[in-house]
Amino acid sequence: MTRSRFACRAALAFVAVAVLALVSALLVAGCGSSSTTSSSSPGTAGSGTVTIWHGYTDVERTATDQAVADYNATNPAWKVKAVFAGNNDYALTKLQTALVAGKAPDIAYQYGSSMALLAKLPQVVDLTSRVKDPAFDWNDFFPAVRLATMVNSKVLGVPALVDNLALVYNKKLFDQAGVAYPTAQWTWDDFRAAAKKLTNASAKQFGWAYVNDGSEDTVWRFLALLWEANGDLLTPDNSKAAFNSPAGLKAMTLLHNMAIQDHSIYLDNGNGNYLNVFNAGKIAMLWTGPWDISSINPGVRFGVQILPADVSHATIAGPDNYVVTNNGAQRVQGAWDFIKWFTSPQEHLKYATQTGHLPLRKSETKLPGYKAYLAKFPSSAVYVANLDNVTKARPNIAAYPRISQALGQAVQAVLLGKMTPQQALSSAEQQVNSILASGQ
Amino acid sequence: MSSGRASFRDRLFASDHVAGWLFVSPAVVLIGLFGVAPIVWALIISFQNNSLITSGTWVGLANYRHLLHDPMFTASVRRTIVYTLLFVPITLFGALAVAMALNRRLHGIRFYRTAVFAPVVTSTVATAIMFSWLLDPYFGIVNVVLNKLGVASQGFFQNPGQALYCIVLVTVWGWLGFAVVIYLAALQGIPRELLEAAEIDGATRWRAFWRVQFPLLGPTTLFLVVWLTINSLQLFDEIYVITRGGPLASTTVVVYYLFQQAFAFFQAGYATAIAYVVFLAILALTVVQLLIGRKLVHYRS
Repeated sequence: MTRSRFACRAALAFVAVAVLALVSALLVAGCGSSSTTSSSSPGTAGSGTVTIWHGYTDVERTATDQAVADYNATNPAWKVKAVFAGNNDYALTKLQTALVAGKAPDIAYQYGSSMALLAKLPQVVDLTSRVKDPAFDWNDFFPAVRLATMVNSKVLGVPALVDNLALVYNKKLFDQAGVAYPTAQWTWDDFRAAAKKLTNASAKQFGWAYVNDGSEDTVWRFLALLWEANGDLLTPDNSKAAFNSPAGLKAMTLLHNMAIQDHSIYLDNGNGNYLNVFNAGKIAMLWTGPWDISSINPGVRFGVQILPADVSHATIAGPDNYVVTNNGAQRVQGAWDFIKWFTSPQEHLKYATQTGHLPLRKSETKLPGYKAYLAKFPSSAVYVANLDNVTKARPNIAAYPRISQALGQAVQAVLLGKMTPQQALSSAEQQVNSILASGQ
Repeated sequence: MSSGRASFRDRLFASDHVAGWLFVSPAVVLIGLFGVAPIVWALIISFQNNSLITSGTWVGLANYRHLLHDPMFTASVRRTIVYTLLFVPITLFGALAVAMALNRRLHGIRFYRTAVFAPVVTSTVATAIMFSWLLDPYFGIVNVVLNKLGVASQGFFQNPGQALYCIVLVTVWGWLGFAVVIYLAALQGIPRELLEAAEIDGATRWRAFWRVQFPLLGPTTLFLVVWLTINSLQLFDEIYVITRGGPLASTTVVVYYLFQQAFAFFQAGYATAIAYVVFLAILALTVVQLLIGRKLVHYRS
């Protein structure tokens, strides 16, 4: 009996120490993270710390830190703190978790494709009335980036990044094959014929590359084709599929003809090898954005041109946004003040000149520093001009990921020759309509 | 009343039971918090329409009913079964053969054993990248060799009819070493006298293997069957890294389908329902395997 009482007391002491250790560890961890976000002093109106989460490393991180330091030096009321919150691919999940834990940042970098889901979060601030501030000059932003911030005509974010698809080509391969460089007047026929001439099966050389993993990477290039043929993904009220149309058929048929008849497409399985193969001089043309330009080897002579036209030279943009979360009216104001400054023409051009990002505002292209920007990033000229070819955006609806999957499978089936263009369109149309009808 | 309480307390503190529980309580608390709680939480979510973003709404068994009418789910289950029926026997018998080959005194045997185990400690991502280059339809060395032999280039991971079998290949390569090590240890535990006795009785090596060694490896084989089956039903990493469930959903196995539902389509309720079905299936299968094993497996006392 005494033995077991002793054992009992020893166990209790052990548990007490263990629990204390655990609790203090949790407390330390908790303090560590809370001190970064919630140190605004409630007594003074409009001062404290505003936290911004981003997923950048490398040059963008340096540029962001630089901008934040500049802002803090000139705006004593609010101290902005930029925090690297991990890869942008997980930005949505991270923000969700932070909101549940009550430790959300004031500003978070988010993909444009996440906007429909973010719209369901009550903590995400509706910025519709704020962007109307004349000093902010909302209409100065390119239409493509403005569209991507809106869900049900509510503005839920401020543009953070914009890009678009253009035609990037290897000049050496064109010279070798005796094919004239792509022009701004190129049609689909010109494009297809050139891709065929630039294909050389024995040398394992391809005219074009297509990401064929069925993901959004597969889908958005198809959307560019669809829009070039004057087609649409959904009906204007987003209630039904609209891509099973003559325009959709034309777009799918082009893919079919090039992949199955001409064998002029290198099909990338989603591992991104297309860029290595392009660098190795085995792919003549890519449809890609500015983010790939920095990964092209210095030895590769390349040019950039707008996409070839069917009815138009339409392209697609992949814009990302800063969203503001509600940590109290004062901090929302502090966050907004910083974003306003950060996305002002002068500041953004400074940022773009450091990072190679495209301008977000039309007025940036008229600033004196724009020449220096173009001198540093010559290929950006085409990408900036190409922003005028972005007239449509993917629908910001919660069902989009599933619609994208259905369409991705259809494009994949055509590229692999498993379905005819019409079969693929009909099958995807049926799936998309049932997804939209289920109302989720 | 008060005397009753006192005697209860006396009895409570008198037993070693309480002390035992108190000693293990830190571990119990941690496992409960990070292990059991999420499992229970997932069960609750599986009865909800939950997007992980907003709090869910109660839908009862609707997620489970939906499973019965979801052709994509049925197809993913079928693929998982095909995969398991290939992966488990190939790994098992492959490992047995390799273990037999390594279970002898050879010059440099340590090198061979290390080499066989190396894939197990290689990260899945590295393995996946290596295989996706080896099996690249355009530039992969495997197609180069096939072409030299007069065989046309294959699509491998880009051919919906071949991708799942290529995943079998990758995972067998990755898991074989683990099974070999287990078998090797078991083989070395078999007394040499038994084999010598069989030899003296006139048994051939082949016969001695099937009649003496293989039955004595029974417990090991049972363990490996259960372990490999559980792992193959939960196949995910290689699919995520190499094929992302494609092409044309040909490698969308059940756990990858679950992942898609939860993290691409934000249907967390449906995803956790799938997770629970997988959990129950694994549990049932393991019980059946152990029951069959009890009948067939010979345990040396």
